Amino acid sequence: MMTKFRLQILIAVLFLCSCGITRSYGLDDDIFLDRVAPILQTRCLECHRTDLAKGDFSLQDATGFFEEGYVERGDSANSHLIELISSQGNHRAEMPKNGAPLAADQIETIQLWIDMGAPWPEGYKFTYDAKAARTLDYNWWSFQEIVKPPAPNLVGSPDRQWVRTPVDAFVLEKLEANGLSPSQEADRRTLIRRLTYDLTGLPPTVAEIEAFERDKSEDAYEQLVDRLLDSPRYGERWARHWLDVVKYADTCGYDKDKLRPNAWPYRDYVIRAFNDDKPYRQFVQEQIAGDVLFPGTEDGVLGLGFIAAGPWDFIGHVEVSESKLDGRIARNLDRDDMVSNTFNSFCSLTVQCARCHDHKFDPITQDHYYGLQAIFAAVDRADRVYAVDPKIELQRDALKHEIANAQKSLAQLNEQINRSGGQALVKLRARIAAVKVDSKKPEFGYHSKVEARQDSQKWVEIELAQATVVKQIVLHGAHDEFNNIGAGFGFPVRFRVEVNGSTIFDQEEVDFPNPQQAPIAIPVSQPLKSVRLVATKLAKRSQDYHLAMAEIELLNARGENIAGTGKVTALDSIEAPIRWRKSNLVDGIWYEPNGATLKELQADVESLVLNLLGKSGVEQKSSLENRISKSRKSLAQLPDGKKVYAAATEFKSQGNFKATQGQPRPVYFLPRGEVAYPGPILKPGIVPLAAGEASVMKIKPGENESVARAKLALWLTDESNPLLWRSVVNRIWHYHFGRGIVDTPNDFGRMGGERSHPELLDWLAATFRDGGESVSAGSFKNLHRLIVTSSVYRQSSSYSGLGMTVDSGNRFLWRMNRRRLSAEEIRDSILQASGLLNLEMGGAGYFLFQLEKTEHSPHYEYHKFDHTDSDSYRRSIYRFIVRSQPDPFMTTLDCADSSQSTPARNETQTPLQSLTMLNSDFSLVMAEKFANRIESETADRSVKIQKVVRRSLGRYPTELELTMMDDFVQQHGLVNLIRIVFNLSEFVFID
Amino acid sequence: MAIDLLRRKFLFESAWGFGSLALMDLLNLESRASEPEGNRPGATSGILHHPPRAKRVVQLFMAGAASHIDLFDHKPALEKHHGEPSDFGEKVEAFQNGLGPWMKSPFQFRPYGASGKMLSDAVADLGCCVDEMAFIHNMTGKTGVHSQATYLQATGFQRPGFPGVGSWVSYALGSENENLPAFVVLPDHRGFASNGPKNWGSAFLPTSSQGTTIFPQRERPIRDLFPKSELVTPASHAQGLKLLDKLNRDFATTREGDERLESRLRTYELAAKMQLSAPEALDLSSEPAHIMKMYGLDRAGAEYPETINVPEEIEYFGRKCLIARRLLERGVRYVQIWSGNDNSFPRRNWDSHEDLKREHGPLARGMARGASALIQDLKQRGLLDDTIVLWTTEFGRMPSTQGSTGRDHNPHVFTNWLCGGGIRGGMSHGESDQWGFKPLDRENPTQVYDIHATLLHLLGLNHLKLTVRHNGIDRRLTDVHGHVIREII
Repeated sequence: MMTKFRLQILIAVLFLCSCGITRSYGLDDDIFLDRVAPILQTRCLECHRTDLAKGDFSLQDATGFFEEGYVERGDSANSHLIELISSQGNHRAEMPKNGAPLAADQIETIQLWIDMGAPWPEGYKFTYDAKAARTLDYNWWSFQEIVKPPAPNLVGSPDRQWVRTPVDAFVLEKLEANGLSPSQEADRRTLIRRLTYDLTGLPPTVAEIEAFERDKSEDAYEQLVDRLLDSPRYGERWARHWLDVVKYADTCGYDKDKLRPNAWPYRDYVIRAFNDDKPYRQFVQEQIAGDVLFPGTEDGVLGLGFIAAGPWDFIGHVEVSESKLDGRIARNLDRDDMVSNTFNSFCSLTVQCARCHDHKFDPITQDHYYGLQAIFAAVDRADRVYAVDPKIELQRDALKHEIANAQKSLAQLNEQINRSGGQALVKLRARIAAVKVDSKKPEFGYHSKVEARQDSQKWVEIELAQATVVKQIVLHGAHDEFNNIGAGFGFPVRFRVEVNGSTIFDQEEVDFPNPQQAPIAIPVSQPLKSVRLVATKLAKRSQDYHLAMAEIELLNARGENIAGTGKVTALDSIEAPIRWRKSNLVDGIWYEPNGATLKELQADVESLVLNLLGKSGVEQKSSLENRISKSRKSLAQLPDGKKVYAAATEFKSQGNFKATQGQPRPVYFLPRGEVAYPGPILKPGIVPLAAGEASVMKIKPGENESVARAKLALWLTDESNPLLWRSVVNRIWHYHFGRGIVDTPNDFGRMGGERSHPELLDWLAATFRDGGESVSAGSFKNLHRLIVTSSVYRQSSSYSGLGMTVDSGNRFLWRMNRRRLSAEEIRDSILQASGLLNLEMGGAGYFLFQLEKTEHSPHYEYHKFDHTDSDSYRRSIYRFIVRSQPDPFMTTLDCADSSQSTPARNETQTPLQSLTMLNSDFSLVMAEKFANRIESETADRSVKIQKVVRRSLGRYPTELELTMMDDFVQQHGLVNLIRIVFNLSEFVFID
Repeated sequence: MAIDLLRRKFLFESAWGFGSLALMDLLNLESRASEPEGNRPGATSGILHHPPRAKRVVQLFMAGAASHIDLFDHKPALEKHHGEPSDFGEKVEAFQNGLGPWMKSPFQFRPYGASGKMLSDAVADLGCCVDEMAFIHNMTGKTGVHSQATYLQATGFQRPGFPGVGSWVSYALGSENENLPAFVVLPDHRGFASNGPKNWGSAFLPTSSQGTTIFPQRERPIRDLFPKSELVTPASHAQGLKLLDKLNRDFATTREGDERLESRLRTYELAAKMQLSAPEALDLSSEPAHIMKMYGLDRAGAEYPETINVPEEIEYFGRKCLIARRLLERGVRYVQIWSGNDNSFPRRNWDSHEDLKREHGPLARGMARGASALIQDLKQRGLLDDTIVLWTTEFGRMPSTQGSTGRDHNPHVFTNWLCGGGIRGGMSHGESDQWGFKPLDRENPTQVYDIHATLLHLLGLNHLKLTVRHNGIDRRLTDVHGHVIREII
């Protein structure tokens, strides 16, 4: 140290002597001002300035720069600074610590400057402006324009014949540059297995394997690719990748982890988008602003499920108002999730870093970030109608009108009858009432306690032992003559019906006409664990209000009422047996007027009325009554609009969670991300991707919030946005090869990974964006075809000596990557091999748990689920995904965690995985069912074993294997063999 | 406890038990395989940042927000001003409407130990341990919403998507015993607290670092440890594993160089070992009577009423504590015990909005008995020296009344305590103000980051250096915060 310090002084003295004085801003200064200062300013100053001085080093002025001895003036070779900024072999340069190393010419400039004696203009001091420094620095590959490079010319290459597609040319060029050569092509069995899993997530059947092995036609492989891309299974496989990235789940997460019964239409939308090969630009636009850019289409609303896909804090929104700090924190984090989901997914840009401070590595300021939050300032996550049939809406209006008119006329007629009927009519009616009561069974139904206020809430609930498929809920009004009410006694004026804690039938906005004894049927589209009737406006009794109901039926697919198996609970109940008690609600008894005496009396009334009104009057009355009852029935049968959980600005309030009606909330600049200390209000804006690009959007006052979203969608998908196109082709590449060209698919910033094939990435991005090379612009299917028909993709996955020495990580793709199946693929393969896979598509997710206690925090009890329930034999993408309590079987197998964006699945090997594969109820039930099936097909033991191996592994067992397995089966039976086969590395790995 | 007996029968009298010759035979298979990720040494194995004071941690998490001023943080001012209208000297946003009059604790406070630490009668059982314990009374949170606050205390971030503290520790240090998981969670038997298993998820760390849940009262305490099928017998299991090993070895041999296939062979051997080790660790039958009594487990077969009550809470919490001790002494790195479930009805957690005495009484007595037994038991075995006990909750409760007998959320101040593993005992660090409303020194509170930094420090880890890059960000347990609390170590 001492020596170096002395030397420095010596050199400094020498320098001063030789130059006389340090000149001010002379000719020699030009190299500093023009060439060195900009490098120091943009690449070093952020950390090494006087008020931060990381590593105790500031280069803000000459004193700081020279006093630590990093620079030997006049001798760059002995200047430690040059060592620090230069790469040494495989070790990247130590400085700049964060971000890309300096370019070679930049280092040369600094060397030259030092060799010139490191002239520093007298008194020159850097000024540091964090924002200016940051916004200026777009010198990073991902921000650069995409220019389609020509495919390499490989005329002299010995492996030229290997090149099938431009993709191969790019890869081969890199291989050769690194002294590597490609592996040979994999055999057909390997190829069809690889391809079928990759494109559909399922194994090929034995018949498919054998047909492909036999197929001698020249384009057999291409035909196979086309067949698989045409299969609906393709969308199911690739939608799963997208749902991983966007954090899709069927519950909200956080406290309570409430169900989202209408999330699945978005999942189905994504599957459909892939199967229909929706152009990527449209796919993106629909997910950000489909309602604006594709108005009137279902997909325009369904796509908005993207914005709502992530977690949502129920308590922070519903129980805490926006006027409280906790409420604002929850909403700030909610906006943040929308912003980061958008930019991580579409642009691979980690904008969320700028919530608390300017992004440390990428040109994103806090202003930019809150401008993005402002785009989403008016939307919330809620159920949103995506399909109303206009014809149905017209019918609904017409029916309501019809009922109102008929009721008016009927009321006039009745008034006339009452007036002229006199005592005779009153007496007859009294007798009828008496008879009715007599003919009634005494178990009336359920009756709440009475209330003084009509708007008191009441509820009654039926909980089944386990979630069961129910097609219809049928409500039957009670019948009690109390206060001369009779039919429809206690039927709520306004109410809602909840299934598993979510509203499926909503009559809270307008009064519901009392149906009297007419049953109200409500269709159900999800497995039902609990149903709750919530009355929000009670029926009038005499001077008070209450809720009563004779019966609630739960009809299964065969029309059988299974409500009787459930348990009835209620907020309160008068429990006055035998007439009124909770259990009467599911006792199968409700009142339907009948009886001979009753008929006679009614006939008397009718003849009396006939006398009063005359024949035409009676006909008019009955026709009015018919019209009303018919219209009511039709009205009840009209389907409600279909709903999707999506970004919404209009929805029914729930506690403090209120719709904005499109009025954006103010979004403040938050220093350090602290909600308690808001700065100025920010307008919607984008993240500039190049110097000089404007951030703030031009939006006229009073324009709808959706204008900002539409602008964002168009900006994202503009062909000049280099991030969007690079990001998506890199994802596709990643899923095909197990590793992206950039191995951080969600981060293309300076903290992201390096590109293995920069030119290939840009070539793919440009081709996908603009079309060409048999790719239509934005067509995923074409892109897949281009990639999987390449020779790179068809390589064997065997390890070779040379490749292992030069590139053991296979960054340059000298072989194909072997991979373990994903959790979904494993589960689906077990189902398929066992012959149980049900390929029904779409609809509400099936449960793999027992759902309990839905009234507070739903309990998802996986350990109580019965895996013999065939409702669960559908593909894994259709399972109901619980965010806070993910399926343990799937999680153990590295399934994506829906609380975070998962651009790449982990692939681990753990003892708990082995235990799960061996001992989970699912594995064991499947093994038994698989075995039963085989047993029923043949009695010959070795044929049985062959069948097991063929259906699981797609091949015949070798003789040795057959002998070992035969021994084993003889002792322990077929079930045990199948249990072991599911655990074979061959079953869960693909070459 | 019929279920308990059944389970014991299943595990120890059946051929599945650890006497099984077939399994022992299997374990003697020669192993050529490389280490699987599940039980590989931790990321910092062999390169600890500095010499550790502690090797393992047991964390007691009180879900629903346990009241500091009714357990550990004595406030004479509340006794003096009980019933007077509360005045905080500033506008206060209560989570619900709990800004009624000042309310003294329904429990008496008394001094304990040489340090004379005041504890409420609800936690009197911890009195004998106070000289081992360091209390931190100026803990402050960021939110009064349970889910976010629980995430913050459990993962260091107030939103989902981050690894639990136990995941970080087991990721960094790996397992001391490859036959048991490195991170074990004992949830409340009545259900999960806010956020459920996401509080101990591995998020972006390897799956192997996530907490393995154990439900001692279930028929199968560890999911999938044993098959539930009449067709699979110990013999078919053992023979099956041999066949599997042979076939998987053949497969790996024809695919030379792929370490994953090798390590997969080893995962099945470790799984078999775990089948022997785990039931033994959970089996309390070898514990002597005085130990059972110490943990309050001397009432075998007791029946409990439906309403919340002290003996039942003692039994359940004590059982978890005793199992925790057995796991810790067998090399489990991090054990997390939860008290309190979700906000269902009737209330079985610490979120006493309505009636503080009703829930805090039994829950605290149960917790104190188990925790006290655990500390004493660890001490007498010499394990307390290198085992950290950490008691925490998501936030505190207000010194004012909600309704007439409840308390609302107080995210501004609450209490944590630590003991063992290099912690200085018999001390309190940081104070709350005279009401227990906010830290006395509002500029210098203690935050969860400081607790986590201290925990890692004692384990030989520098919280600034334990980072994992995820989606472009070098993530730390302590985010961009955290200071080691030197005063308590």
